[in-house]
Amino acid sequence: MKHLTRLVTGVLSASLTFGMAACSASTPSTSTDNSLTFWIMGDSGANFQKLTEPFTKETGIAVNVTAIPWDSVDERLTTAVASGKGPDLLQIGLTKLRQFADAGALMKLDNELGSYPGLAASNFADAVAGQATAVGGSIVSIPWVADTRILYYRSDILGEAGITKPPATWEQLRKDAKTLADRGAGQYGYYIPQWDSTLPVGMTWSHGGDIVGPKGTIDFDSAGFNKMVDVYTGLYADGSVPLNADFDQAQGFVSGMAPMLISGPYLSKMIRDAAPELDGKWNVAMIPAGTQSSTSVFLGSSLGIWATTKQKDNALKLANFLSDPATQLKWYEIQGEIPTVKAALNDSTFTSDPMVKLYAQQLASSKVIPMVPNWDHGTGEELLNALNSIALNGADRGTALADLYKKTADTSAK
Amino acid sequence: MKQRAVPYILAAPAVILLMTFGIFPILVAAVVSFTDLDVVGLADMSKVAFVGFDNYANLFHDPDFWKALANTGLFVVFGVPAIVICSLGVALALNSSNGRFMKVLRSFYFVPAITGIVAISLVWGYLYNAQFGLFNWILTSLGADPLPWLSDPALAKFSVALVAIWRGTGLNIIIFLAALQGIPQEYREAAAIDGAGRWRTTVSIVIPLLRFALFFVTVTTMIAWLQFFDEPFVLTDGGPLGATTSASIFLYKHGIRLNQFGYASAGSLILLAVIAAVTVLQLRVKGKDDDV
Amino acid sequence: MMTSEKTGAPHSRRWARDAQRSGHSARRAARGLRVMIAVALTLGALTTAFPLIWMLLGSVKTQREAIAYPPLLVSQQPTFEYFARLFTELDFTRYLINTVIVVLIGGVGLIFMAMAGYAFAKFEFKGKNILFFCVLATLMIPVQVTMIPTYLILNGLNLTNTLVGIALPTLVSGFGIFLFRQFMSTIPTAMLEAARLDGASEFRIAWQIVLPMSKPILAVQAVLTFISGWNSFLWPLIIASEQKYYTLSVGLSLLNKQLATNPSLKMAAASVMVLPILVVFAICQRHIVQGFTMSGLK
Repeated sequence: MKHLTRLVTGVLSASLTFGMAACSASTPSTSTDNSLTFWIMGDSGANFQKLTEPFTKETGIAVNVTAIPWDSVDERLTTAVASGKGPDLLQIGLTKLRQFADAGALMKLDNELGSYPGLAASNFADAVAGQATAVGGSIVSIPWVADTRILYYRSDILGEAGITKPPATWEQLRKDAKTLADRGAGQYGYYIPQWDSTLPVGMTWSHGGDIVGPKGTIDFDSAGFNKMVDVYTGLYADGSVPLNADFDQAQGFVSGMAPMLISGPYLSKMIRDAAPELDGKWNVAMIPAGTQSSTSVFLGSSLGIWATTKQKDNALKLANFLSDPATQLKWYEIQGEIPTVKAALNDSTFTSDPMVKLYAQQLASSKVIPMVPNWDHGTGEELLNALNSIALNGADRGTALADLYKKTADTSAK
Repeated sequence: MKQRAVPYILAAPAVILLMTFGIFPILVAAVVSFTDLDVVGLADMSKVAFVGFDNYANLFHDPDFWKALANTGLFVVFGVPAIVICSLGVALALNSSNGRFMKVLRSFYFVPAITGIVAISLVWGYLYNAQFGLFNWILTSLGADPLPWLSDPALAKFSVALVAIWRGTGLNIIIFLAALQGIPQEYREAAAIDGAGRWRTTVSIVIPLLRFALFFVTVTTMIAWLQFFDEPFVLTDGGPLGATTSASIFLYKHGIRLNQFGYASAGSLILLAVIAAVTVLQLRVKGKDDDV
Repeated sequence: MMTSEKTGAPHSRRWARDAQRSGHSARRAARGLRVMIAVALTLGALTTAFPLIWMLLGSVKTQREAIAYPPLLVSQQPTFEYFARLFTELDFTRYLINTVIVVLIGGVGLIFMAMAGYAFAKFEFKGKNILFFCVLATLMIPVQVTMIPTYLILNGLNLTNTLVGIALPTLVSGFGIFLFRQFMSTIPTAMLEAARLDGASEFRIAWQIVLPMSKPILAVQAVLTFISGWNSFLWPLIIASEQKYYTLSVGLSLLNKQLATNPSLKMAAASVMVLPILVVFAICQRHIVQGFTMSGLK
């Protein structure tokens, strides 16, 4: 027993010293002078490499692209912060911005952007420019790509059901969805992605509500929010939406099971590829309006510069290149992601094609999710849990919402 | 070379590796469990404070933690017998003949065990899909109602467990098969001469001889279920509404996603204590059994 | 055969009674039972393997076929386009090479485990019991929660973002050491003692007596090590911060859960992950059962 105690204390003290040593042994980024490490999310790494070729040719700065699976962003942040071994520049989803900034991973850029006219806040879409995505009053990122939700509808199916135009309001959508769901068993009118925590926020805004209170903390309890809950749970109560979480939106849309849904721009590419015969039988529209407006959520990603990078200037140069309207348009062409730079959004690519034009239009009336410490796995997850427990599990609305208000109260949103 | 040093030299590399990557991290976790370490603290150790038993006390009052433990318990109670019975049954059947055909079949049963979890999630995700999945297509073709495999809280538990059982039987079948082949033929012949039927031979002679294999499989399977992680992680991410959140998933979410390292470490020590207690209990029972 | 099939579950008991009644009918019933078992096992085997057969079939479907409903079992216009894309557009060649290297590094772990197993099986030394207890205790530790400390250790050793670092945390397993010990306990001690009396060095004893006798368990462990190295997901994801060190499972998860990715492409990627291991297993499976048989797990 004595031996054991000695062993345990020995190992424990060793663990502490070693742990501390390991933690403080932060070696800065691995890149050498003429190469930059860039972290990109998802599988777009090869395309990004292609995008930056002209940059490398012009400046002699090589760009080392590492793709991070979307599912593993949290793991990567944690290990990179722990070891100090981050990239030089990285793509960050807007809902994760605060989390990265709080961890001290992002360089404050307030005093850096002045020397790069291309990075000035006025160049970018208002919803994400400058202070709109600042954390704690500091600018920690540069807008990169935009993503917003629009309404997709099958004009052929709506027509057969006697619906001549896409619903312009949520109330109308609920009615139309009911009509469409009545087509038969296994048929629905609309689809709610149960994993999308931002959609209810957009709906709340459209109904004149907000989710941030006057003190700058999360406060869901508003009239607009309650109207959103009416619509959200009402669609389920009507039997207008599929109940299962793993409903495939592309298949649902192509097969006609869910002839209306709200999704991002990537869905159009998918429909065109998978079902070219549907050409002309579907269209897109602005998302329905609530009692106040048709406000969508401005999603997408920003570029952050790693706090401890030794290559600040080169990283800013690359960011500047990526914010060039021509680069942004090229990225739309090869990857299908929408620009955040106004000049690119006003380009003929975005004004001539009516379907594409709509993205730009919808973006103009979109807002970003408030910068809370952890939206995806914190506040947003709580919101979804509350809504889904009411809609799917028959939880008492009053209790579930009161619980949500309590759990999320005092969550700072700045 | 000194004779006495030999075993130490032999064991050193493996033991050092196990200590470094097995025992030592859990000791670190033990220390961390008394702190409020988060991602900010990870970058700057001066911002970490000791909080005593706060994490443990908070866990005790966290209904989600209790729910995760309860889910884990449920998985153990149904999962362990399911895997042990399935693998023993298949092994007995496979062992009933020594033909070439059986050897070919054997491989089929082992295939799930060698498939990576990422590939598994992909394939099963499609099979389970409520609208477009194969299972529901079969059900509706047979005139039955489609099932919300991964969306209904109760059914989702079953669905993720089914994949784990599918994946978990392969190795155990091999272990049982090996044990079966180690039983001397004479035992069975003796039983046959005594006029014992096949069924009786199996129940009263073969299975008792498999005692060690049974014990081994039960212990390892139970530990695996107590640590149940992969399948719910990739298929449901612990949902719907926490229905498939096992203790490991709960800890992972708090540790990695919410960066509450102190809280997660405290939870992991509790989980480890539970696993150790269950294992020791089994060893005790086995010890008593052997005395008889 | 038909009759015995209809009797269902209690067949074996009935067979037991028959056996006592007459030898002739017993033989017939025995054959019936055997056929029944074979049929049941075949059905079970097909069901078990079905998800993977589905995956292989899915990998050659066109995008249209992949999302067709009702689901299409066999492609009408099979295409290998998606396999080609994996290796041309995506970096699967590199992921494949990395995975092979990680598996090869695992071979070193195999030797370490064999050595430790030998020490625990055939030597008496101070601290043996507590060390062996620690080895077994590692089986109980949930991996996900020790991830961060383990990462920090590797970082302290400057091994993050290396293939060695990816392989290291799972290089040896308590389970493997335990199996080696079980097996090697069955080697007669007298044999080793005799060699020692003859003046053979410890190295020679290990190399010329213990190792050749341990071939069956080495085969088992080699396959298990291969499988775990090939499929490992968590560590490659966390340790490799540069894409050039990604393994197949990380490459696959890059495609995973993205709405815009084609299902056939994912199925093809999954097939690339599963096929090599199927081949390895098909070749080695005979040795696996044999190795386990002799490890005294009964």
